[in-house]
Amino acid sequence: MPFTKVNGKVVTATVAPGREVLARRGAMLAYTGDVGFAPVHAGQGGIGGVAGRMMAGEQVAMMVAQGSGTVHYGFRGLHVTVIELDGSGPLTVEADRLLAHDASLQATVVFLGSQGGIRGAVRGAVSGQGLFTTQLHGHGSAAVLSHGGTIAIPVHPGAPTTVDPQAFVAHAGQVQADISLNASWRDAVGRGSGEAIQLKLTGSGTVHVQASEQKL
Amino acid sequence: MQAFRTNGSRVLAIDLRGDAVRAATGSMIAYIGEVTFRHAGSGGGDGLLAGLKRRAAGESLPLMTCTGQGTVWFAKDAMEVTVVELAGDTLKVESEQLLALSDGLRTDVAFAGVRGVSSGQGLFTTTVTGHGAVALLSAGGPPIALEVSPQFPLVVDPDAFVASRGQLNQTFVTDVSWRNLIGESSGEAFSLRFDGHGVVYIQPEER
Repeated sequence: MPFTKVNGKVVTATVAPGREVLARRGAMLAYTGDVGFAPVHAGQGGIGGVAGRMMAGEQVAMMVAQGSGTVHYGFRGLHVTVIELDGSGPLTVEADRLLAHDASLQATVVFLGSQGGIRGAVRGAVSGQGLFTTQLHGHGSAAVLSHGGTIAIPVHPGAPTTVDPQAFVAHAGQVQADISLNASWRDAVGRGSGEAIQLKLTGSGTVHVQASEQKL
Repeated sequence: MQAFRTNGSRVLAIDLRGDAVRAATGSMIAYIGEVTFRHAGSGGGDGLLAGLKRRAAGESLPLMTCTGQGTVWFAKDAMEVTVVELAGDTLKVESEQLLALSDGLRTDVAFAGVRGVSSGQGLFTTTVTGHGAVALLSAGGPPIALEVSPQFPLVVDPDAFVASRGQLNQTFVTDVSWRNLIGESSGEAFSLRFDGHGVVYIQPEER
């Protein structure tokens, strides 16, 4: 349990030898104790991960906090949600929404096209999420950024949850995401409901949705 | 009539059981179950006459009708959500501060006086009448409800105005002097004055 919320927008993390914390570069607000910060290059995920990040422009530079002490993290006044991972499934989050996570969690970059084929690629392009997202595996916790805070909605087998791609923040557990087009002739004539493109989540787990349709 | 619940202070959740609810276009953030979203029409779902009035007034009310079975969550630009229950009375609301309204309610346009010129909100405001719940949006924090009584009239900034209810008479106050001409204005030249009995909701941020 390394992350403690100070308020809706700031979290603190306790850093100890062997318990490093990775965070978005520049997101440190203050620290106490003997803590050092070192840049982390996109080494995780192997060659594919590096190439993936380079291709996707998903170059959110991370840094590692080492030593022993307490670090405060926050970013641009955005709301922070702490998500605990119990190892039952990965957390999938857009790289620029990831504020900080335990170094014990393994981060990989996933090409959406390799999951859902061309539909996955289309989903990334259409929803503006990019073609690559970050997945965190293992036990630990992660701090995720959102505009206006998040709500958690469960996803149960047989009862899919549908979300607006712009409001989507992250999903955890054994969840598959697929784009679903709900467009009709009304959208073509400018009489659409504004909900033509939706993200359908199936499986079992949780989806985190923010109270806004703004990107970061 | 649906029960409007808030999930946190910025998200509205509505359970649908085969009935319909109207919400601001594009404000759905998630849903469970079988729900369809349809443009409510140029009158905001209140027929041709309201649509024509709205078009003539230049007041736009982009609403969508959500029908089906399930739970729908709505939110807009991380603004705070407040649910107001109406029991046959009328609520005047800025159309861009309206998030959702239950199906027992009717919307119409009302002439709002000259204030529209200054606030850029159009000369007309949206009125909501009937029995049901309305979800209002307020930017910058929860809305502040200010009571108006005959002894205590209220003056508000048009850019902070969200909604009003009750027996209120709305007038437009100008405070333009020679200072404005030489660029020495206080920034508060135009205000809205409310007289009568009622409640005015304002938001802690100016549009």
